[in-house]
Amino acid sequence: MSAAGVETADTTTQPPSSPGGFDTRTLVRPAVIAALLLFVVLALPSILSTYYVDAMIQVAIWSIVALGLGLLVGRVGLVSLGQAAVLALGAWVAARILFATSLPYPLVLLAAGLITMVLGTLVGLPALRLSGLYLALITLMLAGAITVVLATTNFPNGGHGFLGYNGSAVHIPQIRRPSIANTDTAFLRYSVIVAALMFLLVLAHVRTRPGRAWAAIRQSESAALAAGINTTLYKLWAFALASFVTGVAGGLLAGSSRYLYSYDFTTQESITLLAVVLMGGIFSLWGAIIAGLLLQLLPQLLNSWGVSPDWLTILFGIGVLQVLLTAPAGLVDQVPKDLARLGRLLRGLARRVAPAGGRSP
Amino acid sequence: MSKYKDAPRVRLSFALAAAVGAMILAGCGSSSKSTSTTTPAPAPAPSTTTSTTAATSSSTSACGSKPGVAATGTPINIGTIDTHQPGTDFTDGPNMINAYFACVNANGGVDGHPLKLFVELDQTQPAQVAAAAKQLIQSDHVVAIDGVFDLLECTIDQSYWKSLGIFEMDAGIAPECWSTPNSAAVNMGPRYSSDGAVQYALASEHASKIVFVQSNVPGTGYIAAGPAALAKASKVPITELTENVPITDASSVALNLVDDAGSNGSVVLNFTPPEALVILQAVQKLGLEDRVKSWGCSTPCDTDFLAKALGPKWDHKLFVNAEATDADDHNGPEMQLYKAILAKYGSSVAGGIGSFSQFGFLLAKFLVQALDTVHGAYTIKSVNTAIEGIKDYKSEMLCQPWTYGNLALHIPNNADYTVTPESGKMITVQGCTSISSADPQIAQYHKVASAHGVASGLS
Amino acid sequence: MHPFILMALSLPSWQDEWPFLVTGLALGGVYALSGVGMIVLYRTTGVLNLSFGAVGAFGALIAWQLINHSGVNQWLAYLVCILFSGVLTLAYGMVFGRALAGRDPLVKTTATLGLTLVLLGVMDLLWTSSGGASRAITLPTDNHGFMIGQVQVSTTDVIGLAVGVALTIVTTAFLRYSKLGTAMRAMANDREITATLGVPVRRVEAAAWFGCGIVSGVAGILLADLVALDATTLTFLVISSLAAALIARLSSIVITFVAAIVIGVVDALITPIQSLSNYRDMTPFVLAAVALLVINRHRVISISQEGI
Repeated sequence: MSAAGVETADTTTQPPSSPGGFDTRTLVRPAVIAALLLFVVLALPSILSTYYVDAMIQVAIWSIVALGLGLLVGRVGLVSLGQAAVLALGAWVAARILFATSLPYPLVLLAAGLITMVLGTLVGLPALRLSGLYLALITLMLAGAITVVLATTNFPNGGHGFLGYNGSAVHIPQIRRPSIANTDTAFLRYSVIVAALMFLLVLAHVRTRPGRAWAAIRQSESAALAAGINTTLYKLWAFALASFVTGVAGGLLAGSSRYLYSYDFTTQESITLLAVVLMGGIFSLWGAIIAGLLLQLLPQLLNSWGVSPDWLTILFGIGVLQVLLTAPAGLVDQVPKDLARLGRLLRGLARRVAPAGGRSP
Repeated sequence: MSKYKDAPRVRLSFALAAAVGAMILAGCGSSSKSTSTTTPAPAPAPSTTTSTTAATSSSTSACGSKPGVAATGTPINIGTIDTHQPGTDFTDGPNMINAYFACVNANGGVDGHPLKLFVELDQTQPAQVAAAAKQLIQSDHVVAIDGVFDLLECTIDQSYWKSLGIFEMDAGIAPECWSTPNSAAVNMGPRYSSDGAVQYALASEHASKIVFVQSNVPGTGYIAAGPAALAKASKVPITELTENVPITDASSVALNLVDDAGSNGSVVLNFTPPEALVILQAVQKLGLEDRVKSWGCSTPCDTDFLAKALGPKWDHKLFVNAEATDADDHNGPEMQLYKAILAKYGSSVAGGIGSFSQFGFLLAKFLVQALDTVHGAYTIKSVNTAIEGIKDYKSEMLCQPWTYGNLALHIPNNADYTVTPESGKMITVQGCTSISSADPQIAQYHKVASAHGVASGLS
Repeated sequence: MHPFILMALSLPSWQDEWPFLVTGLALGGVYALSGVGMIVLYRTTGVLNLSFGAVGAFGALIAWQLINHSGVNQWLAYLVCILFSGVLTLAYGMVFGRALAGRDPLVKTTATLGLTLVLLGVMDLLWTSSGGASRAITLPTDNHGFMIGQVQVSTTDVIGLAVGVALTIVTTAFLRYSKLGTAMRAMANDREITATLGVPVRRVEAAAWFGCGIVSGVAGILLADLVALDATTLTFLVISSLAAALIARLSSIVITFVAAIVIGVVDALITPIQSLSNYRDMTPFVLAAVALLVINRHRVISISQEGI
């Protein structure tokens, strides 16, 4: 896993100040990315065991969630401590629509994204007046409130009424998947394609006017204001975009899980999400993929090695501290540097050892 | 982003802190090894301790056909899926099964074949539970699913088991564990256990009103339907409440419960042990124990820890439904074997003697008994035919013989004990009593069972 | 039917409600303890210590361990808990607090989430929940008390409230009148300038961190008794307490205390209203959100120094 992360990261890492995540100065890199994507879509699902097919579906979904949060934190400098609640909203909306209608899945995803976007923006609108810390705390409060509401209303399970929840159900029906992606391998392909589209959507924003405005706001909000940038509009725009992609991810999550429970969207989940997003790296879009891997593949690996999930919580905690102290650009930036340092160290050692051993390579 | 000039120093101090942290961890870890046996690990009474230690080797030999001969054949792979996440850790169940398997393997195995348990742990993520099931079948090549202690598993994997012809044995929580052809549980689960507690309040305490309160988790309506049906059959009004967990304002909850129940009513709780304890302690602090006729609780309250933590005012005031025979009160050969296996192979069973390990013991024992009936190769087909064929397996730990059978639903454990705290221990106040058929699911089970010629009630 | 119509139909009488006023005051005291403890540190170091609850829980679990498995005298165990919490918080402050001293409050606050996660993981490793384990700390003061009407009020409730009041008064006075307190307040405004004025910045900071840790230890013991001895519950309980601190805009200790009491009382008064009862845990969040938005409605867009 780390090897893949290194490979991809090595080719694309950029200094934090640069607004773009991907570099297209040459045609080689897009080609590499396209090849990677083709590999993930075409080959990967058939070589993985079913267990890891599912893990990779979750990686794809949570990469989108991390993408949304990374956009807020890294591009605009807004910290949200309530993204798990936003994801839950998206999943709730998608599940409700999927049970109520027979709309095609892409439309459901779009609807989940748009409705979550409206809700997220409504939350963001008043919150944007607040400065960084207050904004983070109010998202924590709102996430707490949403969690309580969801615990009480529950997720739709094929019941009637607005909430679509039937608490007395003995047999709970599954949430449907797209007809073309009913199997796990097909759903993995489907999720990866949707994720790629979401990444492209965000990339398109980052590399055009909104991206430049966000970069200006991030550097200095007062300077941005002075330069005539409508900071409120662009902050709200970021909120809307992040909520949209998170809502779409919620729609995918509904189909991948087939059952939804309020257990999975706790405040702790929001905090863990922020931790992995910081660890993955917030200045590169690749960081979101690393965050997805950390959050969903690593636990499965540890599980299969018999390591308690508690160690993961500890690791994420240490990761947050490490990132904030020494490596603000996250693993996507840190690992290649560390490897380069390790390489130099090894080469140095080899050089020192070589004369002594009398064998020169 | 410009404040990293003293990064090396920071990194050093960070490393230092990490090292100190690791040391603290290591220190705590070693000193608290034994202490992680938290709750219900009451050491067996002195007399039993000596007898078990003296007889350990001989009494654990009862779990296999060839005492003292290690099984060396090709292993029989068994799979299980269990919830393990911060705050909800059901791993005592599979750990006990592993202990039982170790005992079987050391004493001849199943016809010379050792048993191997593949444990998949989940963090209540539905997709993960589904993937775990496929992993067990496709990669681990297990031939049976046994010993599932999980919050969600029955719901999520039922259709998969059905498509493969697998009959799982579990100690579950989700409604599907008791309502599908492909699952049978050794425990009663929240609904029927709550039935038992409500039934006791109605029949023995003659409560004029029932207040049934449970944690607000998915499926509360399904659970409450049982107590509601029982109360209706007795023409007693019932109030169904749910509380979000974790409970932070237990005093208000306690006040609300006694206000609702009134002096002739009974309050019945269905919570995990920590939450039940929080409510009962708040009742105690507020001095409300006697403001209602009686207090009831589903199985999770049946721990000596709870009896100790609560004061003497609760003696014969709180009545807890117990799904399995109390290990302290009984000491037949099977109970001795359970304690001996726990002592010799069960070092990883953190809770020690308790309902989790008792159910783990039963699930392992029934499986081994079923495997003994298999002739020829151990395949999914042959093993699951044997499991489905389990009929009238007797156990000291259950009120009635346990039967799987080709039925549309299985509630093989439908008779319970009632216990109450007395001087720091839980003691039995009512022996085996059938859960009333006023619960439509119980009635349905008896109907289906008798149609198939299966004895389903107390004999 | 619409929940609000139902509420109007089944509003409990004052007679039924007033015992809940008493339990609400006790709950408010619980929220106040953590809320005030967090504010004290924030006002001196600019760090909103979100690991406050986790540190206290860790201390309380150690105390439980000592009492139940090492046979240590309970008062000694509580002392160990309080000292442990103080030292742990101080150690964090000395290493990470110092390294992050110049950064935006948002960064400092996020870093305490890192500590929170580490502590949560360690606690769950050391004190597992397998086999349905549950733990409790019972202070001897639980069994003493007096009746208000039909409600028994335990001495622990009173202590909880009293500690909250005492903390509020003592810290307010301390920050205003003592030399160290003045230094702390100055430092929260501008660390560099304060340092040039000859204030021993590091020692003052250390005092603030240690003090905050001590308070989290005291709160840990009291909350373990009043709420539950459970790592996750106690860790995330601070989020509800934080609501009170937010209503006070992270500055006034007195308003934090009052807000906490209001939250506790509102929460408790909603309990007997069946249609709303399950939503009552939202009280702190809703009150904080409303208060923040109302308070801030006239503010122009505020500028943060630096992102993460």
